[in-house]
Amino acid sequence: MKRYDDPELQDIADKLTDPDPGIRRVAVLALVDSGEPEAAELLIQALKDEDSAVRQEAAKVVDEFDAEDIADSLLAALGDADEMVRNAAAHALADLKDPSVAPPLLAALERSDDPFVVAGILRALKPLRVAAAQTPALQRLSDEDARVRREAVGVLGWLKAEENLPALIDRAKCDVDPEVRRAAAGSLVYAARERVGPPLVTILGDPHWQVRCEAAVGIGKLDYQAGLESLIVASRDATWQVREKAAEAMGKLRVAAAVPALGECARDPMSNLRKAAIGALGAIAEPECRPFIELALDDPDPDVRKLARWAKSQLDNAA
Amino acid sequence: MPTATQRTSVPVIVDEDKCIADKGCTVCIDVCPLDVLWINPATGKAHMRYDECWYCLPCEADCPTDAVKVEIPYLLR
Amino acid sequence: MNVSNIPVIDTDVLVIGGGTAGPMAAVTAKEQDPSLKVMLLEKANVKRSGAISMGMDGLNNAIVPGHSTPEQYVKEITIANDGIVHQPALMAYAQRSFPMIEKLDSWGVHFQKDETGDYDMKKVHHLGTYVLPMPEGHNVKKILYRRLRRNRVQIENRYQATRLLKDADGRIAGMIGVNTRTAEPIIIRAKAVIMATGAAGRIGLPTSGYLFGTYENPANNGDGHAMAYHVGADLANLECFQINPLLKDYNGPACAYVTGPLGGFTANSQGERFIDCDYWSGQMMLEFFKELEGGNGPVFLKLDHLAEETIQEIETVLHTNERPSRGRFHDGRETDYRQSMVEMHISEVGFCSGHSASGVWVDETGATTVPGLFGAGDMASVAHSYMLGAFVYGQICGESAAAFAKERDLPTLDEAFIAVELERIQAPLNVADGIPPSQMEYKVRRLVNDYLQPPKVTKKMEIGLQRILAVREDLPRLQATDPHELLRALEVHSIIDCAEMAARASLYRTESRWGLYHYRVDCPEQNDADWFCHTRLYKDENGNMAHGKRSVAPYIVELGEEKDAYQKLRVQKAANA
Repeated sequence: MKRYDDPELQDIADKLTDPDPGIRRVAVLALVDSGEPEAAELLIQALKDEDSAVRQEAAKVVDEFDAEDIADSLLAALGDADEMVRNAAAHALADLKDPSVAPPLLAALERSDDPFVVAGILRALKPLRVAAAQTPALQRLSDEDARVRREAVGVLGWLKAEENLPALIDRAKCDVDPEVRRAAAGSLVYAARERVGPPLVTILGDPHWQVRCEAAVGIGKLDYQAGLESLIVASRDATWQVREKAAEAMGKLRVAAAVPALGECARDPMSNLRKAAIGALGAIAEPECRPFIELALDDPDPDVRKLARWAKSQLDNAA
Repeated sequence: MPTATQRTSVPVIVDEDKCIADKGCTVCIDVCPLDVLWINPATGKAHMRYDECWYCLPCEADCPTDAVKVEIPYLLR
Repeated sequence: MNVSNIPVIDTDVLVIGGGTAGPMAAVTAKEQDPSLKVMLLEKANVKRSGAISMGMDGLNNAIVPGHSTPEQYVKEITIANDGIVHQPALMAYAQRSFPMIEKLDSWGVHFQKDETGDYDMKKVHHLGTYVLPMPEGHNVKKILYRRLRRNRVQIENRYQATRLLKDADGRIAGMIGVNTRTAEPIIIRAKAVIMATGAAGRIGLPTSGYLFGTYENPANNGDGHAMAYHVGADLANLECFQINPLLKDYNGPACAYVTGPLGGFTANSQGERFIDCDYWSGQMMLEFFKELEGGNGPVFLKLDHLAEETIQEIETVLHTNERPSRGRFHDGRETDYRQSMVEMHISEVGFCSGHSASGVWVDETGATTVPGLFGAGDMASVAHSYMLGAFVYGQICGESAAAFAKERDLPTLDEAFIAVELERIQAPLNVADGIPPSQMEYKVRRLVNDYLQPPKVTKKMEIGLQRILAVREDLPRLQATDPHELLRALEVHSIIDCAEMAARASLYRTESRWGLYHYRVDCPEQNDADWFCHTRLYKDENGNMAHGKRSVAPYIVELGEEKDAYQKLRVQKAANA
């Protein structure tokens, strides 16, 4: 067996071969305090321990190590029988920021079927932004597990590639899972407004309020002027959070045609919405905004009043 | 000046059946920012020796065997 | 104990405090020159010490391109602090803020990103956009620890620093301290020292009366402030107290920056917003205080109007990050965000530049007024630093200290001084039938609450100072029966020092400024003619606590129209009307 120069590390190595799994478990905890790079080897050894409690302990501390040193073992641990081990490995893999680990991740993706494992690998691939992840991610968009589809959307959103838009738009419109639809809708903002504006308008009619919010935010971010009519409709949504996002988005479009709808929002009982509306009216700063802004100077809510004072100064500057 | 000893109900509770301090584990003792957890010489297990708790939870979160439970100190509850 | 019996440990750079700024300082010094010996000394254990032991749920002051600019930030902080800031230091922070986020991101710290991978900035303030959520920010300490090991920083846990050492030329020479478990002294000789000892959070008493139920991590009791004072460094604007909004009794942050972007807000008993002020400041706290005490009080965190999905998101963040025991506190009282508002209150007073603006004076290089001594994080005077400021000034100090250490030889130690200090730190172990540290601590902190907590009244503060000095007279009777009690006893020394500094600094500035932080009822007006300056507090050549003024350095960012725009947003009525 390998000997280590560092006496403390050697002591840990000895304990990791102790017949008592309790001692081995405590030895894993001590590994974390070692500054020796070779500690990672011992961690890898512990990840393969026959005792699941020792493996769990090793998995819990994997994020204390630099993941590139232990990438292969983490990938192997993704297939561990123990869910806690798989979970920890997936989280640690997601912290890998080094593009050189993409090939082993992609290879592991190829041979994996377990939805948990696949989702974990996709989450790890996302921040690496490697083009080679595109094809497998597109394939996984039709996985039957929603967690997998959600992570596949993440990979494609971060890649920001034009050719992935049809697939993302399809997920945003048609996925059965609202979180997948929401994530896909949120990803569309990397594209040109003419391309994704129309689908975002459609998504603004989604049955789930959080998806509608995401669509409103996207229309605003992209400054998609043709989305105004749909935003006006959304500014009367039954859910105030959607009305709020619609009002903010109209402020980003900065068009006078939004003013009557924003005026309605500025009288809403929900003060968060009144804030958004007055903020938007201040951004538009057209003369027809003035009556609503002046009324809001006496709003019972100080945040609304504060924004109204700012909006009034925007009006005065514009005049 | 004479002194008295006063009882106090402490917020950190260690399940001695789960605690593996006797195997050399000192995780909760190591991570406590206020150094209030010590090995009880009578049992070899961890216990709260000083009632000086910030209810910050590293002892509970880092315990490998879920033996530690932190309650909100009685005066705050 | 004889000085010559104690081995002296030599290092190039010594960092005192392993919370947030300290690890960054130590790693940075090593990155500057891996051949430097860098030692990190921590009173607890670096793995879980300091203000962010359980992570952090967001950045409150992130200056991200496209969302805000360093100039805008410097202006806003200048105005929020009623003009009394060292703008070059704020600018140094502002310019390094984004590169630091990128660095932490590359290390594996999780910042919230949108579905295309861009930082998901949230607009909470009315002018700039500075909030970057970190819903998965619980691993920050693990990442710092990983970096410390990778850079081979020598870590010494469970040592309390008690005094800094100077050489004959007045430059820093190291420190003396004590092991908190064995009471064995330690002497470290260092070419440069960085203090990152956190806030002085154990000066006042929380309303619960529980000594350790403080807003700040109670390990941050002001040891650093006291050591800096005794070594002759300037402290600045100590009368600008820290007072923060919090969940009542739990005494931890209510996290407006977490709930704000999701639609939650601070409300009065009518469920309505009442805060006029935009930026976190003493002005905001004054409004908070008045509502608490007024007919529409007390104050609450209101979330009950939010959707179930949003509440679940908030619970996940608040109950896993920073102060995760919030969840079980609410459970114990059967408080559910869905059904009821949560009672809030204000914290006990303290010194903390992270939220306020006072501390050991440092310039834009992190240098204190003692050559070779640097300061970062909550203990140093850079206003409104929060966690990101601690990281940035940790980095700045790491660079400055490495450069300083490389230009000098190992200093000579003052053995006579060390002998006196050894006697002081051993004394409580030799007292029989003395006063327990907890009793003396309770007494002095209760006096701080009674006499120094704003609104400040001159006569009361004078009485308070006399009472605090009377407790100081009792120090020779302070008794420790074991090394742990010795730790607490030595902390009591620092707490008394800080309490005295708080009283004297508050008496010195005869005006009101910074809203509630220095609201003097009998000097209610802000007086720019006499007091548009930093105040200094330092130990004079006779060993007495002395005061002075330091002029505000010329602004590098003019406030111009911005100031008016801000004032329009912010103050409808005079600050202390």
